[in-house]
Amino acid sequence: MTRLVEVPSQFDDRSFDQFAGAFAEATKDGERLLFDAHAAEWASPYGLVGLLAAGQAARGAGGAERPLLTAPTQSDVLTYWTRAGFFRAAAELFEIHGKLPRAKPAEDSDVLLPVTPVRAAEDVHEVVSNIQQRASAILASELGLDPKATMGFAMALSEACQNIVEHAGTGGWVAVQAYHWRRKLAKRVVVIAVADAGVGFRHSLEPTQSKRFGERWGDAAALEAALIQGVSRFRDPGRGQGLAGIRRYLARWDGKIAIRSGTARIAIVPKWDDDVPLKDGLPAFPGAQVLIIIPEQGTTKQ
Amino acid sequence: MIQHIDVHAVLQEFVSGVYADLVTRPTGRVVREGIERVMASAAGDVAITRIDFTGVGCIDYSCADEIVAKLLRHRPAVLVLMGVSDGHREAIEPVLAGHRLAALIERSDGTLEAIGAPEVAMALLAELVERRLAAPTPGGTFALSQ
Repeated sequence: MTRLVEVPSQFDDRSFDQFAGAFAEATKDGERLLFDAHAAEWASPYGLVGLLAAGQAARGAGGAERPLLTAPTQSDVLTYWTRAGFFRAAAELFEIHGKLPRAKPAEDSDVLLPVTPVRAAEDVHEVVSNIQQRASAILASELGLDPKATMGFAMALSEACQNIVEHAGTGGWVAVQAYHWRRKLAKRVVVIAVADAGVGFRHSLEPTQSKRFGERWGDAAALEAALIQGVSRFRDPGRGQGLAGIRRYLARWDGKIAIRSGTARIAIVPKWDDDVPLKDGLPAFPGAQVLIIIPEQGTTKQ
Repeated sequence: MIQHIDVHAVLQEFVSGVYADLVTRPTGRVVREGIERVMASAAGDVAITRIDFTGVGCIDYSCADEIVAKLLRHRPAVLVLMGVSDGHREAIEPVLAGHRLAALIERSDGTLEAIGAPEVAMALLAELVERRLAAPTPGGTFALSQ
């Protein structure tokens, strides 16, 4: 039997919990999964890398058979997913159904970094090298960031990707895109999305942190320890710099970071956003999913 | 004697001929070990080691920690950083402050600037002056004596 997991028509960090709930329900009995994205109208980079993480988890749990994926039917959606590099990555994970366009991943658009696999330190080098070439013009001219901010952006991206290499125990994906965020800000934003279906923050930090938290220990406490307290599973005192560095960078540019892992989600929420700082008891989803948003500089709608 | 170490050259020799960025902890570890090897191979008494970041693209926090902080913690000689861009400083300064370490940056005009934990930075500069490795300049700053 095949279990259906519906991909939300507007698939982003806000609808991700709905998707995670459907995923958790469908994976209960180990049957093959069908991810149905035929009605998808829009997906953020977070949605795209999150879908890949779900495919990775389903493939890991489901034995020899790859999960199925029904591609979007709207041609503009299909073209965008292709330009964003989604299908290139998805082909390794899913048995894809639907007619895919021949378009190549974008090289001259708002897709600053197409969906890119991150498995090892070499991949992080590639990502950082590519993003510096492509992002500086957009960050400076369109978002009004100081040209010096480009290197900070690359640093933040590097550290977000390294979380996969150092902690996930498996590979993951990153995507970076600039777009006009009408709904929330009426401004342009640059979004970094990183996702994996690895062990997650709780498992990674458990050996060194669980005793300290006692009964409070869980996904939410692990996220709090990592993002707010800057702890790492390594005892080296220099560890834990990455997320702290990302926070500093985002504080300077009024940006946002949200990390979902297991059944919890934590966020550093800027004034322009109404997200909640910590959510617990969410539908379980493997690994970690990171969202970083940097808005165009200037007055923001609040 | 002042020893000069070109970090970009070390990166290319020990990690990859195509990389220009100091990112990821494994890269930082290999580059630091490469720098330590070059330092160990110096002939004669080295009082100051210039670590030159010219040509290096991005440095992330992991590499700043793995290279600069760890070199400073086990320094066999006084370390002076040069070729440091504003972007590099963004990674290096908070890492040093977090470890309560300080380093000297030699600007393009030859003047020195201490960065990191303020009291440690002041002590570092005072130590250099006391050892006659640095001296005040007419402009009210400091520069290396050699």
